[in-house]
Amino acid sequence: MRESKLMFLQYLTGLLILIFGTFHFLLLSYLAPTTNKVLYLYLGNTHQLIGGTLYYSTVKEIYTTLLWGAMFEAFLTVLVYHAFNGFRVILSEQFQGPRAEKIITYTMLVIALIIFIYGSRTIVVLLTGGG
Amino acid sequence: MTIENKKGWISWFNPFKYGLDRWMYALHRLTGIVLGIYLILHIFETANILRGPVTWNSIMVSLDWPFGVHIGPIILSLVFLAAVYHGLNGLRLTIVENGLLLPRPYRPEYPYKAKSIRGLNLVLKIILGIVMVVIGVIGVLYIFTGVLI
Repeated sequence: MRESKLMFLQYLTGLLILIFGTFHFLLLSYLAPTTNKVLYLYLGNTHQLIGGTLYYSTVKEIYTTLLWGAMFEAFLTVLVYHAFNGFRVILSEQFQGPRAEKIITYTMLVIALIIFIYGSRTIVVLLTGGG
Repeated sequence: MTIENKKGWISWFNPFKYGLDRWMYALHRLTGIVLGIYLILHIFETANILRGPVTWNSIMVSLDWPFGVHIGPIILSLVFLAAVYHGLNGLRLTIVENGLLLPRPYRPEYPYKAKSIRGLNLVLKIILGIVMVVIGVIGVLYIFTGVLI
């Protein structure tokens, strides 16, 4: 793909990340399906977790809801593109020349695919009732 | 064919000679790298939810208290602030790099001032700066207290 198209996608995914990122934050706080909205609710002064928005059942409830699961899958897709295209731009400014460019592009593509598949696995397994 | 690249990455983080925009660029790149690494770690960290409630909860606690020290909220706050900066500065870059909100070209006269610190462009920076501070404060307050305003 041409560089201008890749950069257009970089801006587009950036804007989408702003929207999805806001929901990601709200799901951890205001929208979390729990009465107490703190991140960590400990039992007294111990380190025993008894609730909060990062508690297992809270997180699981979000990720087994189809709407949120689908949103996180979309979020993951745009994030992985944005991050690894960003890395590609940074690295190809540092290591210049057509050979380096090729190595960087394909390395980033492979790592991005691995991260994307690994992250999708978590979301899909939870959505289909596993975990 | 080799192309000489004498300064490379060192010059990204040498914004002293170039003014505000160069500082914003350096910070944008720095936060971008940090957030990219965080994304990769975050995906591996959250995959642990497939290993059941006991494992997940104990991993969450150890992330809140790494090495027995309560620095989880500090790390989260730094990531949050990096995300807010990168996001809102990215919004500015999306506007400016598409040629919008830039002042009209003018004859350069001594002392030279960059186009980007004039007029609407400066207004944009100030507005986004205020929004950054507001969202940053809300987020950090939430992370530390659990209260969302």
